[in-house]
Amino acid sequence: MEQFLDAFYKTFIYEDRYLYFLEGLKYTLIIALFSCILGLIFGILTSVIRDYHKQTNKLAILSKICDIYVYIIRGTPTLLQLMILYYVVFKTSTISPIIVGILTFGINSGAYTSEIFRAGFDGIDKGQREACKTLGLNYLKTMKHVIFPQALTKIFPALGNEIITLVKETSIAGYVGIVELIKASDIISSRTYDYFFPLIVSALVYLLLTYLLSKIMKLMERKLNHAI
Amino acid sequence: MLFKIKSLSKKFGKTYVLKNINLEIENDEKIVIIGPSGSGKSTFLRCLSTLEETTSGEIFFQDIKLNSKNTKKIQGKIGMVFQNFQLFDNLTVLENITLAPVLNKIMSKEEAYKQARIYLKQIHLDKKENEYPNDLSGGQKQRVAIIRTLMMNPEVILFDEPTSALDPEMINEVLALIMEVSKKNITMIVVTHELNFAYDFATRVLFMDKGRIVEDGDKEQIFHHPKTDRLQQFLDNIK
Ligand SMILES: Nc1ncnc2c1ncn2[C@@H]1O[C@H](COP(=O)(O)OP(=O)(O)OP(=O)(O)O)[C@@H](O)[C@H]1O
Ligand SMILES: [Mg+2]
Repeated sequence: MEQFLDAFYKTFIYEDRYLYFLEGLKYTLIIALFSCILGLIFGILTSVIRDYHKQTNKLAILSKICDIYVYIIRGTPTLLQLMILYYVVFKTSTISPIIVGILTFGINSGAYTSEIFRAGFDGIDKGQREACKTLGLNYLKTMKHVIFPQALTKIFPALGNEIITLVKETSIAGYVGIVELIKASDIISSRTYDYFFPLIVSALVYLLLTYLLSKIMKLMERKLNHAI
Repeated sequence: MLFKIKSLSKKFGKTYVLKNINLEIENDEKIVIIGPSGSGKSTFLRCLSTLEETTSGEIFFQDIKLNSKNTKKIQGKIGMVFQNFQLFDNLTVLENITLAPVLNKIMSKEEAYKQARIYLKQIHLDKKENEYPNDLSGGQKQRVAIIRTLMMNPEVILFDEPTSALDPEMINEVLALIMEVSKKNITMIVVTHELNFAYDFATRVLFMDKGRIVEDGDKEQIFHHPKTDRLQQFLDNIK
């Protein structure tokens, strides 16, 4: 028991070590939030370009580029993408690792999000687009007012999963020197030679985060579904 | 002249679904198209509404050649009512009806709402304006869809079996609305198997079979004095 308390003390209290965790959590949250936003933007943009090409045969080259982007990102490990961006692309720049992290996870999540939206657009009865066409609505108006809102409702659970995956994946940011939650717990373990508390606490924090996220998504989903 | 159709053919894969159709349609005609399943009725309407590209031949709409370049010019002028309604489930009844005229700047939002409410009152759905399509019956959905088309002030409305997805007790309310619309100076082309309605409604009837327009005449002639065995057989089967 005494040992247990001692480990707890060393992990959290001594030298205000709990601040490490808070700091780590802060970066985890920042990276997750901004890369999630970036991922949504990339995902929506690329999926709409690909859909536009599919419907109208225009923008062939741009659409091909989007295809290749999705293909490459989905075909390589996230850690590799992070390292390439950090050690190769931004090797000589003084850009903050946090930004590199946000970019990596944003670009990565964008590819998966793109596929989710694509499946959503494809899942809408093509009669809906035909109805829009006979009403004189062009592609963008049709997408904005009819296809996108309906697709969003359908893909919402998948989108929620992707966001949760993203939050968990940010844990590899420690590899390029970002002190996010896992890295913070690692630092503390290396000082206390105790792994139990730091790791358990990290796990609990992640669980809490993903629990809250799925709750929020459920609430939003209910709101969306209510409209329909 | 509203439509001038010159040697229109359409094939899917290797099979011709429409074969060398020549037809002229005047303003304000009320046309019914009948014919067996697979004869190309839907495909014909879809070519007229540019939902389907033609394989060969030409379609002129008010002297505008229908092709992908001219879609802007015919914007909303060729309305279409679908068998399965195709209301937008994410929008309320009122939004469904006013979406296109407002976005296409045919009316201001206020004007559109006002006009929509007049129409909704006529079909006794004014209390449902804020409901979503999923809360409506099939007959109500189809009547809303017809109004949605009317809001664009189309020159012509194409109806592809507007009542065949409906429960029997709802068919009449939709047919009654179509009859009501037919009083307007608007060209209408209706594919239907409802022969009683066809008889009341049509000024001209086309009988299609195997991708061709086999007979074209007034209802008296088509329904009582068919010229071909194929039409006679079709009428016998349907009765
Ligand atoms: N998109 C398509 N691709 C391939 N074949 C098609 C397509 N649309 C229709 N067809 C074929 O074309 C033929 C004519 O179909 P169409 O739907 O125009 O007939 P219809 O007269 O409307 O029949 P119904 O009374 O059953 O609605 C059918 O053999 C059908 O299988
Ligand atoms: Mg048909």
